[in-house]
Amino acid sequence: MTPPRTDTLEQALAENRFEWWDSVCELGRELKRDKPGLIGVILITCLVLMAVFAPYIAPHDPAAQDLTARLAPPVWYDKGTWDHMLGTDHLGRDVLSRAIHGARVSLWVGAAVVLCAGGFGVVMGLMAGYLGGRTDAFIMRWIDTQVAFPGLLLALIILAVIGPSLTTVVVVLALNGWMVYGRMTRSAVLSIRQSPYVEAAEVVGCRWPRILFRHILPNLTSPLLTLGILEFARIVLAEAALSFLGLGIQPPATSWGLDVAMGKNYMFMAWWLVTIPGCAIAVTVLAINLVASWLRLISDPQEREKQFARHMAKGMRKNMQAENDKERQPETS
Amino acid sequence: MKKRGCLFLAAVWMGMFLTGSGWAQTKQITIALGSEPTTLDPQIREDGGERAVNDNIYDTVLTRTREGDLIPSLAAQMPRLVAPDTWEVTLRPGITFHNGEPLNADAVVYSIQRVIDPDFNSEQISFFSTIKAARATGDLTLHVITDGPDPILPSRLYWLKVVPPVHSKDSRFAENPVGTGPYRFVTWQRGQHIDLVRNDDYWGDAPQIMAVRYRFIEEPGTRLAGLMAGEFDLITNLLPEFTSHVPKSVNVLGLEHPIVILNADSGITKDPQVRQALNLAVNKMALANGLFEGYAQVAQGQLLSPSFFGYNDQVTAYPYDPDKAKKLIEGAGVKGQTIELIGTSGRWLKDRDLVEAVAGYWEQAGLKVNVRIFEFNEYLNRLFDRKTRADAIFVVSSNELLDADKSFSAYYKAGGVGASNTDSTLASLIDTARSETDEQKRKNLYHQAVKRAYDQAYFVWLLNIEDIYGLSQRLDWPGRVDARLLVQEMTCR
Amino acid sequence: MGRFIYRRLIHGLIVILGVTVIVFVVTRMVGDPVQVMLPLESTPEQRAAFEKKLGLDRPIPIQFMEFMGNMARLDFGDSLWQKRPAMEIVFEKLPMTILLTVVGIGFACVLAIPLGIIAALRPGGMVDRVTVFGSLLGLSVPQFWLGLLFIVVFAVQFKILPTSGAGTPSHILLPALTMGLPTLARLVMLVRSSMIDELNRQYVKTSFAKGLPFVRVVGLHALRNAGLPIMTLVGWEVIRSLAGYSVVVETVFAWPGIGLTAIQAIEREDLILIQAIVFTAAVCVVVINIAMDFIYKLIDPRLKLT
Repeated sequence: MTPPRTDTLEQALAENRFEWWDSVCELGRELKRDKPGLIGVILITCLVLMAVFAPYIAPHDPAAQDLTARLAPPVWYDKGTWDHMLGTDHLGRDVLSRAIHGARVSLWVGAAVVLCAGGFGVVMGLMAGYLGGRTDAFIMRWIDTQVAFPGLLLALIILAVIGPSLTTVVVVLALNGWMVYGRMTRSAVLSIRQSPYVEAAEVVGCRWPRILFRHILPNLTSPLLTLGILEFARIVLAEAALSFLGLGIQPPATSWGLDVAMGKNYMFMAWWLVTIPGCAIAVTVLAINLVASWLRLISDPQEREKQFARHMAKGMRKNMQAENDKERQPETS
Repeated sequence: MKKRGCLFLAAVWMGMFLTGSGWAQTKQITIALGSEPTTLDPQIREDGGERAVNDNIYDTVLTRTREGDLIPSLAAQMPRLVAPDTWEVTLRPGITFHNGEPLNADAVVYSIQRVIDPDFNSEQISFFSTIKAARATGDLTLHVITDGPDPILPSRLYWLKVVPPVHSKDSRFAENPVGTGPYRFVTWQRGQHIDLVRNDDYWGDAPQIMAVRYRFIEEPGTRLAGLMAGEFDLITNLLPEFTSHVPKSVNVLGLEHPIVILNADSGITKDPQVRQALNLAVNKMALANGLFEGYAQVAQGQLLSPSFFGYNDQVTAYPYDPDKAKKLIEGAGVKGQTIELIGTSGRWLKDRDLVEAVAGYWEQAGLKVNVRIFEFNEYLNRLFDRKTRADAIFVVSSNELLDADKSFSAYYKAGGVGASNTDSTLASLIDTARSETDEQKRKNLYHQAVKRAYDQAYFVWLLNIEDIYGLSQRLDWPGRVDARLLVQEMTCR
Repeated sequence: MGRFIYRRLIHGLIVILGVTVIVFVVTRMVGDPVQVMLPLESTPEQRAAFEKKLGLDRPIPIQFMEFMGNMARLDFGDSLWQKRPAMEIVFEKLPMTILLTVVGIGFACVLAIPLGIIAALRPGGMVDRVTVFGSLLGLSVPQFWLGLLFIVVFAVQFKILPTSGAGTPSHILLPALTMGLPTLARLVMLVRSSMIDELNRQYVKTSFAKGLPFVRVVGLHALRNAGLPIMTLVGWEVIRSLAGYSVVVETVFAWPGIGLTAIQAIEREDLILIQAIVFTAAVCVVVINIAMDFIYKLIDPRLKLT
């Protein structure tokens, strides 16, 4: 192997891209070893694709009513038709199409809340950790106070007053959930601050925003990513619960939680109305949780060590086996 | 030692299980209501849960048959008009309250004075708004004095629950009701249940059922689950889809009428031809059979049920005639124009579905429909907005007095809270009827009012919804037009 | 120690004050409670009179001063919906929620600790994998859906448990189970990971080597040392439930607790009852937080309380 030459900019970029691709490959290899993680990643990819291309995949308009075809059962029943594969609801809307479109709302709310809450929380945490002193004291008091609020009750009241909608749900959930990121970022910053390279940057005379965002933040990506994904799962459940209580997404928009709430009145004659959106929520959250626990495994040095040892042991066993086979081969032939 | 303790605990646990299910035995029934009463004072709130319980504890001066005709209850005969503004009521002798207080003219006078006292601030005041005073003229006779002639006073007396003068001054009266009715109050575990037991000294026919327990469950799905699990014997507001899934169901034509109020003064609905077209365009039969699975009747071109006073059986619903509707729309030159239809969601049974179905029919007739579903508060703002009336507003009217006066004053008469017309002829018909004490003349006035509103098509009359009840296998009950849950009319196997 | 109590109390007061001020501001933004409370056919005069009776026609600062005075006296006035003192309603419903919380979380603790320990004994083994996957599943299933499932299966199909409501011990089983399952999942994961850490420590190995009985080593020493994070989680779950997360379970099972009352009050725009409920919830959270700090101190006397 020859050392890479970085004479020109193009070459450097190409080199970089190569490394980037390399690390993706490495991630892929790790993923192949962790079956649950792999399943989770595949499921999430499917869900995201489903959400993005919902209008093209869904066989019907999720809001289109057909009063003559109400409460039609799924296709495997005698009365079921391929037109409505998973049946229809009490207004004759296609359950499958609603489930597909519901993924959009759930993932969109999840992503938006994680980005808003995460963004705000991280900035607050960085400021508290790096600036210290009064700023730190103030932000931490604020976080402590807000953590002690009965969050869900306040959320319900605010939603009832302002009027529930996609935007208000996102805002309320984000207001309720930024504190975790703040606390985590702050404690990480406090430990990284002492490291030589940050001190070096300070000595060189970098301004604090530069230090924060160029030197400290990149070190936080991996724990923040894990936290964000866990929070994502929590938010999907929270959105579903709010919509179930009637204070989340409002009809005619679709949401899994809303569909369970509407289907619940019909659950004894049309089980598919609550079961399908309910399973959709469960599968989504499970997939996210699987990915999160896999990410936690590979980003935790201790766990990595264990895994590496296990992997090595496996490889050694394989090698030994191969050598044995080699030794045996001449005998058999 | 420890083991014995565990065994003891297990025994207690099992015992409580058994007492819990023990209620579901013979001649004791459980009724699931949609909301818990907030008080058991029968005169202060206007609250369905309270009414459902107290209708069995208290008697009213007059009552109705199952079909809706007024008959005497505590009164010995129908009230007599002795002067244009004075009605004489004679009571049955020998009735006492559950606590032994006698039911006499003083008790009825006291009850009237209590409910109309402005300081008492009763929510039921709209039922008694015309009553000025009451005074006893004998032990069992009294005069009720109204502010001017009030032909519907008997309907008002149907709402008057008579309370015991002494006990009702007790500060715990609201949690410990005492009436003259067929059931007496036993206990109220807030949030859980209310228990009543048969009054063996009841003056009327002895009821068959021994005891009633009321449970409070807001979610219709949960109520249904309880009925299917055999925990409840009667649930209210059963959805039409479930009638084939519950052990038994009963349906009665109720008091609710969904209608669309059309703006007769401005906009494209100013033209009577357009308003008629909007009526012709809607397939009311399909709404009744499709949306309500047949548990609704087509409203016969009026805001009244056949059981109401003033119902005009000469007037029938606009037929479903989409071609004629299209022609009328074209003839009026409004084809392709936009009409605004306002509704709300979740307030009434299938409200949103009805609005959207109506909008669909109107579009087929050649109009663009701008459906606007508002949250209830905002919806009310639009409904009450007197300055700018929307083209069309969906509303469900409910008339507990079973008399044309209430519905017509609110929606037909110019200036009423929900009226969108300025028809002075119609208004004067309603005003004259209001103070006309001759029953036949009054009936004629309402018939004219119904006809006029029908010809002018001030509304799109949609349906008259049926109340559906789910019953357990062992309970028998025919249901009532006025939706009262009278346990004395129920029988249990 | 005195300083600690003092600081915690001050912080608690700030929390309660903050919450109530937010609720006051938010509820005064409510479009118009008057309109919803009165029947459809009411006249404008009746509306004005009703507004006056509620004191909603006066300037906001005066309303606020009065509100703060009421709060200090624990008297928020009569609920608009039930027409009786709001605090009376709260005190009636709160014990039901506490009961549900205690039974639900108690059940979770009783199951989680042995399950977590068994899983931790052989990390990566079959039992461990099943436990971990089961916990992930438990965390992923929405509570309201699980509750509905329980009703259909246990109450309607098998008819062995009541569908809803409260009254007998059998009524509490399904709601408590629904409430406890996510807690159980979280607890199992935590017990498992803390026990794995503890069991790898030198002292555990030494104790085994010394021949101490298994139960004594695992149950007494390891579990005790893993107790702090477990306690934190349990406390946090209790707080969550009292701070309104019980609302979902209570709605599904028509359990007459504070959560169901809260959502009913919100639906009916009963500002007074809403204020009383949120105030009580905030007080509960603060009290439990302080109690938790003391329990920490009991478990681990080395902790410095600041």
